[in-house]
Amino acid sequence: MARRAAISGVATTEATSPSKQTSSSLELCQQAAWAALEHARLRPEDLDAIVVGNIDGFEGTALSGKHVTRLLGLGRHLPLIILNTGGTTGGNLMQVAARMVRSGTHEAVMVLGQPTFFGARDLQSAINTNSPMIVEQPLGMGAFHMGAFAASAYQARHGISARDLAEVIVADHDKASRNPKAHLRYTVDVDYVVNGTPLSTPLTQPMVCPVSTSANAMVLVSEARARALDHPTALVTAMGTTSDPYLGGGKGDFAALENLAALARRVYRLADIREPRQEFDVVEVFAPYAHMQPMQLEALGFCEPGTGIELIRSGATAIDGDMPTNLSGGPKCTNAGVAGELAPYLYVAMQLMDSAPPEIQVAGHPRMGLAHGTGGSFFQFENLAVLTRLDPAPEA
Amino acid sequence: MTTPTTPATAPVTQAVRWDLGYDIHLGATWSRFMQGLREAKILANRCPDCRRVFVPPQAYCESCYVPTDEWLELPGEGSLEVFTVVWHGFTGGPTPPYVVGAIRLDGADTLLMHVVTGLDFSDPATVRDQLPQGSRVRAVWSAERAGHILDISHFEPAG
Ligand SMILES: [Zn+2]
Repeated sequence: MARRAAISGVATTEATSPSKQTSSSLELCQQAAWAALEHARLRPEDLDAIVVGNIDGFEGTALSGKHVTRLLGLGRHLPLIILNTGGTTGGNLMQVAARMVRSGTHEAVMVLGQPTFFGARDLQSAINTNSPMIVEQPLGMGAFHMGAFAASAYQARHGISARDLAEVIVADHDKASRNPKAHLRYTVDVDYVVNGTPLSTPLTQPMVCPVSTSANAMVLVSEARARALDHPTALVTAMGTTSDPYLGGGKGDFAALENLAALARRVYRLADIREPRQEFDVVEVFAPYAHMQPMQLEALGFCEPGTGIELIRSGATAIDGDMPTNLSGGPKCTNAGVAGELAPYLYVAMQLMDSAPPEIQVAGHPRMGLAHGTGGSFFQFENLAVLTRLDPAPEA
Repeated sequence: MTTPTTPATAPVTQAVRWDLGYDIHLGATWSRFMQGLREAKILANRCPDCRRVFVPPQAYCESCYVPTDEWLELPGEGSLEVFTVVWHGFTGGPTPPYVVGAIRLDGADTLLMHVVTGLDFSDPATVRDQLPQGSRVRAVWSAERAGHILDISHFEPAG
C-alpha cells in the first residue's frame, strides 16, 4: 500500500499589525518552527528536510528561504526546498511536504510559512505585481479591484446586497474575537461594514483582509511515525491543486468559482467524499474578501449557488453549527502573506488534533476536515486538502 | 564587555527602498496584438481544436494544448459582462473614481478588460444599474497610439 503522510505538529505565533510587531520575520519563524517541532515531539536531527515559502519581489527578502532556514538553529545538514507559487505559496507548502513523505524518501518534513508584506509601506504597489502587467494592470486594476469583479458578478446574478456581504464579515469578526491567535479581534456590525471606506464596488475597507504579522509552521511525518505518537494527528487523506487561465478575461464565469468546483470534485473522489455537508466536521477556507467565503462554500458543494450567505446566516458555520467554518476568523481577520495562506491547513490540523485554542476548538473530537487556499491573478489558483483525524495506535 | 539591553517595546525599523524598473518581452503573439492596436485594429486568434477565439490572443490554447495560429480581427463593440467602480486606486494608477469592466467583444470567447466611461458617480448606489449586465459598449481609440493596451482609450456605452 502507498505510504501516507500526517501532520503531527503545528504552531502559530500571535498575530499583530506591522506597526505593533517588535520581532523580526526571522524571530517569528524561529518561534513557530521550534513550537511545531515540540508539538510533534521531534528533535531537529529527526527532520529530513524543510519546505519554506519564498515570494521573491514581494519584499526585500529574495533569498530569505536560504538565510531564514539557516538561522532557525535546526542544524547544518537540513535539506531545503524553496517553494514559490506567488499568492498560493503557503497553501502549497503542505502539499509539497506531504508528497515528499508519501514518496518514501522522507520520514519527517517541516513546513515553514513566513510572514510576508509587513515591511511594504505601500502594500497595494507590492501585491499589484500579481495583476497581469501588460494588458490588465495598466487599466488601473490591482489586487482588490480584481476581487471586486467576482463580488459584482455574484451580486448581480443572485440579487445579493452589500448588507448581505457585510454579514459574512460580521460572522468572521465574531469568530476572530474568540481566537487568541487572530489579529483583528474586535467585533463589527453590518452598518460599520457597509459604511466603511469604499474601495472598489461593492467592496469596502472592512470587507478586505488586513496586513498581519505572524509565522506558521507544521511538521509532516509518515503514517507509521504518526501512529506511534501519544496524541492524535491529521492524516492527509486527499489533496490537489488547479489553475484557471492567467488573464482575468480568460475566466468563464465571474459569478461562480468553477475552477474550485472542479478541484473539489477531483479531491472528493480521491477521499470518497459523497456528502460534503454531512461528512466534514470542520472547514477552513482562504477567503480574504467578503464575497469569497459564500462563493467557496457553494463551489465546495456545501450549498446551492447563491445560498452561501444564507448558510452562514443559518449558524451552520458557527462553532456549534453542523459544519464549523473559519473558526480562526480566517484571512479576513489575520493575513500574514505566506503564513496566512498556510493557516487554513494549520487550523484544520489543529482542530483534528484537539489542539486548537480552547475558545475555538470544535467539541466532540472532529474527525474530518477540509482545508483550502487560493491566490494569483483573479484568484486563478486553488488548492484543497481533506485531512482526517488519526488516533494513536493502541498499546501493544 | 557587554551592555545591558532592554527588550524593544515598539518596533525598531529602518527604511530601505525597492524600486525596480522592468522590461517585459512581449514575444511574437502579443507583439502582433500591440501592432494591431497601433493600427486601431483589435486582433484575436482562434484555437484550431475547440474553435474558441481569444482576445488578447494567446500562443497556445490552455484547454487543448495546441498552438493557436489562426488570426482574425474583431469589431470594437461588445457587451459588458461585469464591472467595478474603483473608489480607491493605487500609486501610479489612474485617478479614482473610474470603472474597469470585462467586455465580451462580438465574436470573442474570452473577456477583454478595459476602462468604461459614461457613468454618473454622483450617487454611488445607482452606478451599477446604469450599465446592467449585457449593456452594449464600443471602443474609443486614442489619437496617439504606441502599441499599448491604452491605445484603446476606453469603452463607452453604445446605443
Ligand atoms: Zn482549444
